[in-house]
Amino acid sequence: MRDQYRKAMQWLYLACIALSGIAMVVITLFIPAGVFMRYVMNDPLQWPEPASVIMMVFFSFIGGAAVYRANQQIAVEALMKAVNPASRAVMQWGVHACMLLIAAFMLGYGVHLCVVTWGNTIAEFPWLSTGVVYMPIPIGGALTLLFIVEKIWLGDPPKDDVMYSDAAADLE
Amino acid sequence: MDTLVLLGGFAVLCALGVPVAYALGLAALFGALWADIPLEAVMLRISDGTDDFVLLAIPFFVLAGAIMAEGGMAARLVMLAKVFVGFIRGGMAVVNVLASTLFGCISGSSVADTSAIGSVMIPQMVKQGYTRVFATNVTICGSVQALLIPPSHNAVIYSVAAGGTISVASLFLAGVFPGMLFGICLIGLVLWTARRRNMPKSEPIPLKEVPRIVLEALWGLITIVIIIGGILSGVFTPTESAAVACVYAFLVTFFVYRDYKWRDLPHLVHRVVKTVAMVMMLIGFSVGFGYMMALMQIPAKVTAFFLSISENKYVFLMLVNILLLLLGTFMDLAPMLLICTPIFLPVIAKLGIDPVHFGMIMILNLGIGLITPPVGPTLFVGCAIGKVTIEQVTKELWPFYGAMCIALLLVTYIPALSLWLPGLMK
Repeated sequence: MRDQYRKAMQWLYLACIALSGIAMVVITLFIPAGVFMRYVMNDPLQWPEPASVIMMVFFSFIGGAAVYRANQQIAVEALMKAVNPASRAVMQWGVHACMLLIAAFMLGYGVHLCVVTWGNTIAEFPWLSTGVVYMPIPIGGALTLLFIVEKIWLGDPPKDDVMYSDAAADLE
Repeated sequence: MDTLVLLGGFAVLCALGVPVAYALGLAALFGALWADIPLEAVMLRISDGTDDFVLLAIPFFVLAGAIMAEGGMAARLVMLAKVFVGFIRGGMAVVNVLASTLFGCISGSSVADTSAIGSVMIPQMVKQGYTRVFATNVTICGSVQALLIPPSHNAVIYSVAAGGTISVASLFLAGVFPGMLFGICLIGLVLWTARRRNMPKSEPIPLKEVPRIVLEALWGLITIVIIIGGILSGVFTPTESAAVACVYAFLVTFFVYRDYKWRDLPHLVHRVVKTVAMVMMLIGFSVGFGYMMALMQIPAKVTAFFLSISENKYVFLMLVNILLLLLGTFMDLAPMLLICTPIFLPVIAKLGIDPVHFGMIMILNLGIGLITPPVGPTLFVGCAIGKVTIEQVTKELWPFYGAMCIALLLVTYIPALSLWLPGLMK
């Protein structure tokens, strides 16, 4: 069960990074495409900007959950490193509790925000509900919750985890 | 009491070790509960924080910088710098600083700069007889220039933190002279150290190789022309210029330089996603936090506090510099910019300080914080690349801190350094 959960979280992490990466690459093409259409084809497009912003919100919150699993969120660890192991363990539990709280807030109030705004649409995309734009928040919250459970139950991912596969080569 | 709940809550959460982004969100939540403000309002602000077209410039600048850094640009800029200064005593150290200046025209991140320039320069400097610690120190200090020299994504973060009221183009132009001045201060220090320690000279680059070296480096340096030229001519918005720079960086790296392997591209995107998502989460939660600060009138209270100490803007700038240098040792640049900017903006407005000038002071000051323990990401990366310990490095960093503080004082008390260039464009 523990191994399966760890494996599932590895795949989930990879999916978050892949989705966010694809979104980032796509918006990197959307914006120059808009510039090209405006200056070269003399036919300005209305959709690249709002579409890119929506995708940015997606990759911010979904990628953000992955960043939490990868321990790459900026944190002030000076005090945690300075105290004795017993105090450190207590502080670690405090961090987990705080993370559970904020992730639950993102999930609960994010869903609420989606529900409330579901009937509204975006000016540039009349077929798209505003609620969809807010969906990354509860999704990001849910993903973060799953990663927190992994950390509490199984500890930090091992060094051979897929999340360390992006380390740059030593050039020396 | 409101201030204590919000700022005190944030400080306690940070001290506990909660990631800063989430600490901002939680503190905003506690503040909202305390002040009886609907939590939906905070949630809406957090979402709106990442929903801004200008913010798209951040992933694009980070991506363009990463492609250039890993795609062979750094090595070519080092060669270009060697042509000009490699042959003088301590020349390799000067090359290191100058390469960082040039790389700053592409990257905008001191960590990326340290990683790219350090990987090339530290081994070469060690081979020539420089100590590993000195080579590492020059690299990490030189990399702070990247934060000032355009395009700096931290300038975009500052603009966002200021509520989008400050033009990104003005901030980009404002960073040119402070960045160069910072480089000159460091070069002065390394030349003085080189004479004192009798550091080695390099062989001059043969003249017949110079055109090739210049041409190869020019391919990369055109990026800055695309970005700054595009913005100033009105052809591109900052976001568009960043996106076009990304595509250009990709084409140069994969079809001109051809040093980078296609199979490494997913790893590069992986790294960039992690960096960008981390910054974007910070921005989102900081907007929620900023909303609570505004509701609790904290910026107004801070303004009143500073004005009660002194109404002299030079005294205020000195106090802010000391405060930011202290806070910068504990916290990273981006969160500090996002938290402190909305607090200080009303004060500087009262004292008649230009927000563009103040932005340069904050970025430079907090940039120095990136190479100070206990929390110094650039210091950590530099030590890892230089294969030295933080203790070894910090023991010899003091002269560098001195040179950087001189640069900071000059930028603080000579506003024209930051404001002359943007003024020409008005």
